[in-house]
Amino acid sequence: MMRLHHSSLVFVQNQSETYIYATRMKMFSFSHKTAFVVDHCPYMAESCRQQVEFDMLTKNRSQGVIPLAPVSKSLWTCAVECSMEYCRILYDIYPTHKLVNYIVSDSEFHILNTWNQEDQNTQELMSALAAVGPPNPHEDPECCSILHGLVAAVESLCKITEYQHQARSELMDRAERVSNRGRIVCLTNAKSDTHVRMLEDCVLETIQEQNKLAAGSDRLMQIQQCELVLIHTYPLGEDTLVSDRPKKEISPVLSSEVHSVRAGRHLAAKLNILVQQHFDLASTTITNIPMKEEQHANTSANYDVELLHHREAHMEFIKSGDLHPAGSTSRDSGLKETVTLKWCTPRTNSVELHYCTGAYRISPVDVNSRPSSCLTNFLLNGRSVLLEQPRKSGSKVISHMLSSHGGEIFLHVLNSTRSTLEDPPSISEGCGGRVTDYRITDFGELMRENRLTPFPEAPGAAGSVKAPSDRAKDQLERHTRYWPMIISQTTIFNMQAVVPLANLIVKESLTEDDVLTCQKTVYNLVDMERKSDPLPVSTVGTRGKGPKRDEQYRSMWNELETLVRTHVGGGERHARVLECVTACRSRPPEEEERKKRGRKREDKEDKSERNGKEPEAEKSWQETERLKGVLEREKEELAESEVIKDSPDSPEPLNKKPRLSVEEAPPPEKSRGPVSLLTLWTNRVNTVNSRKHQEFAGRINSVNNRTELYQHLNDENGMETHENGKGNR
Amino acid sequence: MPTVVLMDASLSMTRPVALEGSEEFQRKNLAIHGLTMLFEHMATNYRLEFTALLAFSSLWELMVPFTRDYNTLQEALSNLEDYDKTCLEAALQGVSNIVQQEWGSACPCQVVLVTDGSLGIGRGSLRHSLSTMKHRGDDKKFPLPFPFPAKLYIMCIANAEELQSSDTLENLEQLLTLNAGGGQIFTMEGPLCLKSVQSMFGKLIDQAYTPFHAVLRCGNLSSDVQVFPRPEPVVIDEEVEPIPRTILTDLEIVGFIEIGDISSPPVLSRHLVLPIAVNKEVDEMGAGGAEDTEEESSANQMAGKSPNFCVLLHGSLKVEGMVALVQLGPNWYGMLYSQADSKKKSNLMMSLFEPSPEPLPWLGKMAQLGPTSDAKENPYGEDDTKSPFPLQPKNKRSYAQNVTVWIKPSGLQTDVQKILRNARKLPEKTQTFYKELNRLRKAALAFGFWELLKGVAELLERECTLLPDSAHPDAAFQLSHAAKQLKLASTGDSQYAAFDHNITPMVTDFSGGDRDRM
Repeated sequence: MMRLHHSSLVFVQNQSETYIYATRMKMFSFSHKTAFVVDHCPYMAESCRQQVEFDMLTKNRSQGVIPLAPVSKSLWTCAVECSMEYCRILYDIYPTHKLVNYIVSDSEFHILNTWNQEDQNTQELMSALAAVGPPNPHEDPECCSILHGLVAAVESLCKITEYQHQARSELMDRAERVSNRGRIVCLTNAKSDTHVRMLEDCVLETIQEQNKLAAGSDRLMQIQQCELVLIHTYPLGEDTLVSDRPKKEISPVLSSEVHSVRAGRHLAAKLNILVQQHFDLASTTITNIPMKEEQHANTSANYDVELLHHREAHMEFIKSGDLHPAGSTSRDSGLKETVTLKWCTPRTNSVELHYCTGAYRISPVDVNSRPSSCLTNFLLNGRSVLLEQPRKSGSKVISHMLSSHGGEIFLHVLNSTRSTLEDPPSISEGCGGRVTDYRITDFGELMRENRLTPFPEAPGAAGSVKAPSDRAKDQLERHTRYWPMIISQTTIFNMQAVVPLANLIVKESLTEDDVLTCQKTVYNLVDMERKSDPLPVSTVGTRGKGPKRDEQYRSMWNELETLVRTHVGGGERHARVLECVTACRSRPPEEEERKKRGRKREDKEDKSERNGKEPEAEKSWQETERLKGVLEREKEELAESEVIKDSPDSPEPLNKKPRLSVEEAPPPEKSRGPVSLLTLWTNRVNTVNSRKHQEFAGRINSVNNRTELYQHLNDENGMETHENGKGNR
Repeated sequence: MPTVVLMDASLSMTRPVALEGSEEFQRKNLAIHGLTMLFEHMATNYRLEFTALLAFSSLWELMVPFTRDYNTLQEALSNLEDYDKTCLEAALQGVSNIVQQEWGSACPCQVVLVTDGSLGIGRGSLRHSLSTMKHRGDDKKFPLPFPFPAKLYIMCIANAEELQSSDTLENLEQLLTLNAGGGQIFTMEGPLCLKSVQSMFGKLIDQAYTPFHAVLRCGNLSSDVQVFPRPEPVVIDEEVEPIPRTILTDLEIVGFIEIGDISSPPVLSRHLVLPIAVNKEVDEMGAGGAEDTEEESSANQMAGKSPNFCVLLHGSLKVEGMVALVQLGPNWYGMLYSQADSKKKSNLMMSLFEPSPEPLPWLGKMAQLGPTSDAKENPYGEDDTKSPFPLQPKNKRSYAQNVTVWIKPSGLQTDVQKILRNARKLPEKTQTFYKELNRLRKAALAFGFWELLKGVAELLERECTLLPDSAHPDAAFQLSHAAKQLKLASTGDSQYAAFDHNITPMVTDFSGGDRDRM
């Protein structure tokens, strides 16, 4: 309209991007590769000088027993268990894409695993560590050095990972976009600050050398950036010989930081902080978790459990300034911050679809503590827990949800702010909203048949075989080739008798049995036509009685032929079904007329003969089937009326009439013929009941279960009611 | 994406525009004319957008809170008064506050700033704000970037030449850079008149307020739809794949999944999927009798009466409690589902997953999801009681596999006590005793904690001596056997200290005499 004058004007375009980030992290950041280098030299065998009491006497033991002496961990044991804890948290939260290469250094280096994904779990590492064993205190200290390990770590960082390789091959000519960064976490006992500087220089030199090598290799990548985290650890009670130093850029390719920490729990706390920094983690404390006491099963106390997860789960708090409610500090993680969320006792059976803006894997800080394992087991058993956020203002809001999926626990972030989509026009107000006879149940059935299921990836078959999801789309295409959306547009899909064929014909390929079933279905229809069985035909847009029965059958056959014809390309067997339909179906009127004239007599004979010969069982079966069809359609109608209930002025469903005619006006010979199970049963019940009491005079004299009251008042009209006979519903 | 219109109501907006014609306009009139056009467009083509109107000079005022009532917005615009000087920083802070109050900090917004480009002088001017930005404390931070993702559109009621004579454009561009969420500066070209302001706002409409139309397909069934709000382009990895991705206008359903199986997945954004009648001609369903005067409304009515796939899909999704998985692009998927609001009105909604071959770990790779008929056995079970979801990860997480952590002394003490407790119930608890013993043994070997192995061996030996007379003879055998094995392991001898080796119970038999004792 008014936008026709564009060409005469110029506007200033800003170059900045107009998009929204999905993930703020780069896949190949520092955290993609972590090389752990742990000192295995003789001095690491020294005790950390923190004793652990392990002989805890229980109350009912005799007093004469002297407890065993406490044990003490070596520097090595402390380093190993803290690094394992680092890996445990890392693998819990990032089972893929964040890789660890574990290296041990003494007189040489020992690489305990590879960058390969299958090597990335704590079990593998524990097994490899057991093979290494504790450091040998009698080894010659002169031969041993952490340097062997550091050099190996740099070499290892140059090695390409599966993920880097895959990304590079996908990007082809833009492979240079895949960067190679990494981090070296080194646990050692250094001698002095000068020693530390020497280690840093050595790492830098090795990077430069290795980068030269990597430049000429396909299987190696140059290190663009490396972060060295040196952790000097020493026994309790000793003075440190190395000073802490924050991160500093040594060269564009290498930055380094030094932490000087006492072994034992101090080291554990330090590594817990580092794993959070290195992998952008944050802490949430779930508070008020009710748990049964072991001793007193009737009482329950409230516990807190601290969880780690990606920081993004707190983004809303960080931005809104709600991050620091009073008194929310972690007591034992050593970190300053944890967000406290309150447990909300879960409702029982909620299969709800929450509006969830993020889901992040969690790892309990204290994985084996009783409160932690109570919580995780509860979640692993399939329950979800909503979490409430206490706000500054004192108001409360459900902000998160804990839920497990396939043995992994996720912290879901729920949207707790006003929705911009509130109060939309209802679907019944829009296009197609006034239509009331959608085939909701039938489409639901189609959806069930087109549910998805995971298939394992066929190794080496990439490209040659169709992806399962494409096969799913193909199946949907087949299932919808002929699919009228509303009940009044179809006859065949309202007929129980057509179901076997309709279900089979959409298959990609048919078996001989399938063809047989289809043919039987067609013969059955022919039979119905011969007997002039009523069809559930819609009378939309017609006045009076609607089309004649033979016209109804003709349109039914047309529809069936259309359905089958859409699948004729499916193969020879599909074609045979079509042949069967075209051979058996009733003809257009002229042709029919011609035939009728010739066959009238024959036909009559045939009919009476068949009626006589047909086995009783089959007939009553047809009858029950028909009844089922009617019942089911009624159910359908019920479902629909539930679905679209917000259009009170919508017209009555138009298809009601023809169906009722099916139900109500069975051809006279039918009611006399073989009876359905339902009728048999009803009759039986009625007879039994009638024996128990004397029947009301009114009921005995009733017509169609209806008796005119005050007959003397309305003598003339009474007759009409009787004749009408359509009242009993 | 809600919109905030930030209207400059400073005195400079009342400057008259030189016109060749008879009528005299102020810049303010031009601005109002442009916004009127925007509001009219939104009322007809984008009516679900929430818009707020903020006027500012040295102070700011929320004239109309977020609404879909464009008449109210229009009215407020025409009643706008003139105030003093321009102070943009305070106004931007105002925008930041009202958006966060209403929508939180995750909801993306669009800010339309309408100004004449004279951004004040001295304190409170944009130039001053920008120059002092870096020297401020946390409490006085410049409002940009907004805490929420925001696009900033700056509509200058001035032409480029006019603005180039000062540093206005430079300052405005700096605003866009600061905002980081993107946006654009629009200026008027040629004489300042109604035509050129229309043209400028026309460009804004094209850029930011054109409805997103698509075709929703499920095999051969399809429907034309509007997706509201417009799905925004998404960048997956700024390094590896820096080009933003947009969703296809052909949305193809792959198949269906139960709500319980998809289980509240995380989504990037949510959108209404509204069926639209592209073709105003209605098929044979219309029973005729449309009057020419009411062509529009009767066309709408007919559209309502002709069957639409969206309505069918919505109805069945709702009844069956399922979602439809829909492909949005290569390796990008979303889900369609029925969403009911508090008033029991329900709608077809689409949520977008993160673009990735495997956005939901519990479903596995999306491309590997196929039809159940391809499976050897129906994964949902013949009686529909099973489900192939969720997929189990290859490795169990630490909390699901009984890991050993001894960082706190209590962890170690608990593990030792478990062994001891079972030791006192030998031989009944033989299996658990050895299970716990082996668990401790493995961890001690991995941690190089041989001292603990020795300690526990001593502990078991002592337990053996403390056994009451009534104890089963097997208890003593098992305790001394276990102690001996632990001691052997603590030597590091590869024969006994192998990680995968397990200490097995000693084979004893006190029930009959027909077998030799070990």
